[in-house]
Amino acid sequence: MPVANAIELRNLTKKFGNFTAVDDLSLTVKDGEIFGFLGPNGAGKSTTIRMLCTLARPTSGSASIAGFDLVKEPAEVRKKIGLVSEKMIMYEQLTAAENLRFFGRLHKMPKAKAESRIDDLLGLVNMAEWKNTQVKKFSTGMRQRINVIRALLPEPNIVFMDEPTLGLDPQTTLAIRDIIRDINNKGTTVILTTHAMVEAEALSDRIAIIDHGKIAAMDTPHELKKLVSNGEAKIFDMRIPNLTPFLTDRIRSLDCVAGIAQDDAYDLKISAKGGDAIEEIVKMVMKEGGKIEMINTHEPSLEDVFLMVTGKEMRDAVSDKNATPEFHDHMDAPKSRVR
Amino acid sequence: MSIQDMLLDSFNIMRKDLLETTRSKMTLALMVIMPLLLMLMFGFIYPNNASMPQNLPVAVIDLSHSQDSASFLAQLQWLSNNSVKMDFHTVGSVDEARKMIDQGKINGAIIVPEGFEQAVSQGKSANVTVLYDNSNPQVGAQVMAEASGLIGGVSGMKSAVTVMQLGAKANETLDPQAVLNPYSANAQGTIPGSNYFDFLAPGMLIMVVMMSAMTGIPEGISQEKERGTFDGVLSAPISPVSVIIGKTVALTLGGFVQGIIIMILAVTLFGVHIQGSILLAFFLLFLGVFSFIGLGILFTSIAGDQKNSIMLINILIFPMMFLSGIMFPIQQMPWFMQWLSELIPVTYAADAMRKVMILNAGLQDVLPQIAILAVFGIITMAIALPVFKRSMTK
Repeated sequence: MPVANAIELRNLTKKFGNFTAVDDLSLTVKDGEIFGFLGPNGAGKSTTIRMLCTLARPTSGSASIAGFDLVKEPAEVRKKIGLVSEKMIMYEQLTAAENLRFFGRLHKMPKAKAESRIDDLLGLVNMAEWKNTQVKKFSTGMRQRINVIRALLPEPNIVFMDEPTLGLDPQTTLAIRDIIRDINNKGTTVILTTHAMVEAEALSDRIAIIDHGKIAAMDTPHELKKLVSNGEAKIFDMRIPNLTPFLTDRIRSLDCVAGIAQDDAYDLKISAKGGDAIEEIVKMVMKEGGKIEMINTHEPSLEDVFLMVTGKEMRDAVSDKNATPEFHDHMDAPKSRVR
Repeated sequence: MSIQDMLLDSFNIMRKDLLETTRSKMTLALMVIMPLLLMLMFGFIYPNNASMPQNLPVAVIDLSHSQDSASFLAQLQWLSNNSVKMDFHTVGSVDEARKMIDQGKINGAIIVPEGFEQAVSQGKSANVTVLYDNSNPQVGAQVMAEASGLIGGVSGMKSAVTVMQLGAKANETLDPQAVLNPYSANAQGTIPGSNYFDFLAPGMLIMVVMMSAMTGIPEGISQEKERGTFDGVLSAPISPVSVIIGKTVALTLGGFVQGIIIMILAVTLFGVHIQGSILLAFFLLFLGVFSFIGLGILFTSIAGDQKNSIMLINILIFPMMFLSGIMFPIQQMPWFMQWLSELIPVTYAADAMRKVMILNAGLQDVLPQIAILAVFGIITMAIALPVFKRSMTK
C-alpha cells in the first residue's frame, strides 16, 4: 500500500463573526504519523480538531480525512476517526463498561468483538477491576484513561487527541503517552494538540506551531530546534561542589563564554560559543582547583523555538488550566468560541 | 445510511438515556412525585359537592313575633335539619346580625320582617329577607342559594296544603306536585356518576407526558452539549436524527410511566371511570408528544444553552397548560382565547383523550384530532430537524 496522506487541509478557515479562529490552514499529515499541534490557548488548535471531526463546519476551504471529503462525506469520515476531547466524553451515571459498550454500538461493532476489546483496553490502562463501576466514582486520571480507550475502541485509522494529558498526574500522563506510542506503532495516525512542550517533543514526528489560527512553523522537533541552534550558542549546566565567586569570575573571563547564570550554590548555566568551548571551560575549572561533578549540555528547547517564531513566550500551562494567557491579543473573542 | 441503521442507533441512544435515568434516584423519585403532586393539587383546589362547607352559621331574626312567623321558622328549621347545610342562631335585631356578620361569626341572616303575619292572613305573598356576607362571594352565594332553597321548600309545603284544601272544596282530587310544577326538568349527564376529575384526568395525562418530553429535550440535549458527551455521539457514524428519535422515545416512555401513575391515582383516589380503550389512549399520548416535540427541538436549537432553552420551553408550556382546555373548559374563555386555543396542538390531544377515556370514543371518532396532531407534528419537525442539524455543527 502506498503511503497515503491521512489528512489534507486545504485553506481551511473557520470564522466566528469577525474573529478568525483558524486562518487559511493548509497542511498534510502522512499515514502513520504522530502530528502535533502546538500553541497557546485560543490559537485555533481545538477548533481545527473539531472541524476535522465533523463537529464544526469550516467557513471556507476543505479537508480530506482518510481520503474522504470532510464536508461532503462526513458519515464516511466518522467511521475512520476517534476523538479524545478535552471535555471527557462519558456518562457519569454509567459504568466504564456501559460507556464503552454504548459507543461500540454507535460504531456498529459486533457484540463479541466489542466485549473482548473492552476487556483488552481496560487491561491496557490497568482498569480491569473497575469495569463495572460507575464513572462518577472515578478520579480524574481514571476518567481520562477511560476517555482515551473510548476513542480507541472501534479501532479508528486516525485518532484526534485534544490535550490528552491536561491536568493529569505524572503517572497517568506517562501511561497515556505510552498508549499513544503503542497505537502509533500499530499503524494509527495520531493528531495531537497540546500546549505542553515536553509532550509535543516526546511524541510527535512532526509539529506545527500555530498561533492566531496560522502555522508559524512546521517541521520535525529536531529540525525546528535547529532553527534556533544553527550557529548559535550552546547552553549547558555544570555542577561544581566547591564553587566560589572567584571561580565563577574566572570562567566568565574566558572569550568563548557568552554568559553565566548561577542557579544555586553550586549549579551554573553557561552559554558558550565555539567547538572547543566545553574543553576550555573544563580546563579552567581544573586549573583553579574546582571539582566538576556533572556537565549537561543544554539543547535549545521547543520553548526557544516558539519564542523565535512567534516572538512571544510560550507558557507551559499544563498544571494551570484556567490561567489567563496574558499574551493573547484576541481575548475579546467569546470564550466558548475559542475552545 | 439506511433507515434500519438509523432506528438501531435511535434504539441505542434510547437505551442509554433510560439506563442513565434509572441510575438517578432523584430523577426516579421526581417522576413519581410530580404527577402525584399535580393530581392532588388540581384535584383538591376545585370545589365539588363534597367540598361545600356544611352547617353554615346563619342568624334567624323574627321581627313579626306572630304565630305564622313562628310556624314558618319551625318548618325552616325542620327542613334545614334534614339537609344539614345551615346552623341557625336566633338573634334579636337586624343590627346585631349585621354586627355578627362583620365579625365573621355568621355568614348570613334570614329575617322575617314586621307585617309578615298580615301578608299571610290577607293571602298575599309574604316577604322574607335574606342577608348575606358578600365580602366572601362564594360563601355569600351559597348562603343565598341555600336560604332561597329552604324558603322555597317551606313555600312548597304550604302551597301543597293549599292545593289540597282547594281540591277538597271543589270535590276534586288534585296532585299538588302537578299543579305547582306542571313541567319538571330531569337533567342527566351522558356519563353516569362523572365528576370534575373525569374532566381533569385525561388532560392531566397529556400535560404530564407533554411536560416530561418538552422539558426533557432541551435539558437532555444542552446538557450533553455542555458536558461534551455530544462530541462523542456526533463524531460517531450516526445521524443526528437518531439522537432526536432516541431521546424523544426515552422521554416519552418516562412520560408513560407518569401517565400510568396518574391513571392509577385517578381511578383509585378520585373515582375516575375510564371507559375507552387504554391502547388508543396511549397512541394518543404518543401522537401528542410527536405533535409538539418539533417545537421543543426547534426552541432548543435556537436557544443554544440549557438555561435559555428551558426558559423558551416554559414560554411554550404555560399557554399550553392554560389554553388547551386541560383545566378550564375552552367554552368558558373569551373568543380570542378560544381562537388561540385552537392553534395549540395540546388542545386537540386533550380533547381526543377525554373523548376516548371518558366517552368511550373509538378511533374513527377522534380521526380529525389525530389528523391535526399528525400534520402539526410533521410540519414542525420538518422545520426543526434542519435547524437542529445546523446548530449541532456550529
